[in-house]
Amino acid sequence: MSLRSQLLKGILDGCVLAVISKAPVYGYELSKKLQDLGLGDVSEGTIYPVLLRLQKHALIVGEMKPSESGPNRKYYSLTQEGFVALDRISSEWQQLSVPINALLMKGENLHER
Amino acid sequence: MNVKELIEQNNEKRKDLNEENKKTYTDLMLYIRTKLTLSEKQSEEVLIEMLDHLLDAQEEGKTANQVFGENPQIFADELIEQLPEEEKRDMVKFVGQLAFSLVGWFLVARGIVLLLFSSFVEVSTTVYMIPTLIIFGLLACIVFLGVKVIFGLIHHSLFKEKSNDKMNMVKAGLFGGGSFAVILAANYYIRGFGPTFEFPWTASIGAGTVFLLISWLMKFKTKI
Repeated sequence: MSLRSQLLKGILDGCVLAVISKAPVYGYELSKKLQDLGLGDVSEGTIYPVLLRLQKHALIVGEMKPSESGPNRKYYSLTQEGFVALDRISSEWQQLSVPINALLMKGENLHER
Repeated sequence: MNVKELIEQNNEKRKDLNEENKKTYTDLMLYIRTKLTLSEKQSEEVLIEMLDHLLDAQEEGKTANQVFGENPQIFADELIEQLPEEEKRDMVKFVGQLAFSLVGWFLVARGIVLLLFSSFVEVSTTVYMIPTLIIFGLLACIVFLGVKVIFGLIHHSLFKEKSNDKMNMVKAGLFGGGSFAVILAANYYIRGFGPTFEFPWTASIGAGTVFLLISWLMKFKTKI
């Protein structure tokens, strides 16, 4: 597995929560949206263990609804706890990404010199 | 939607998969279904969700391996890890219903056999309590073990390039033959002692019907 996909796997829960927080989606839509965001490094199916885990922790709920194309699909939306968890993950990511950016973005450091 | 409807829908939709995708998906499905400790409802829900996903992906010319990764077994293990376990209460209900149904059919069949034979030959309707209980206990153990063995064999034969079906058939056959021999031997050696009671065909059919009715009622209740 490439480093990129390993890193993505660690933060995928947060990414899935973030996408669902914008609008309720079903599995296929969710994987499409992640890909469009440039996060296509993990196989599409990887979202399903994530969705199961998030449901188990009551961060999201699924509801059967007719989709735009017709057949019933399971649409996921965030619960109250889900929004709290998303906020926490976002702030933790901030705390991590700032120092890591400073450390690893060598190109930009050179510019500053 | 209940489990039965989900499975029926799955069977219908699976027909729309192409050969290659169907092979991978079916392996994935059986791998999860043969893991008996998982919540059946939740398993079937995620299975149909992934089937819908795969069908959408197939329309765009993607393969099951692109959707579920190059190693679907690792993917399936991740799913199993996240799926909740079946609640103990539901499991007890299921096993109880099965036991009532099996004992019920056995008693009804025994009643009919006794009725048919008693018109030609003299048959004993005496039941030895202790040996009967021992043999029933033995049967229950063998059925329980058998389900575990067969499901385990299927579970471990999936996702293999070339599955050794013959070897599995031999293993299952050995188990079947072995347990048959155990029951026969038990029937032969463990008999004719302890307290007895008379159990004529009428009582056998009557008791069997009651058992079947209870089993049917349990099934009816779980459906709601």
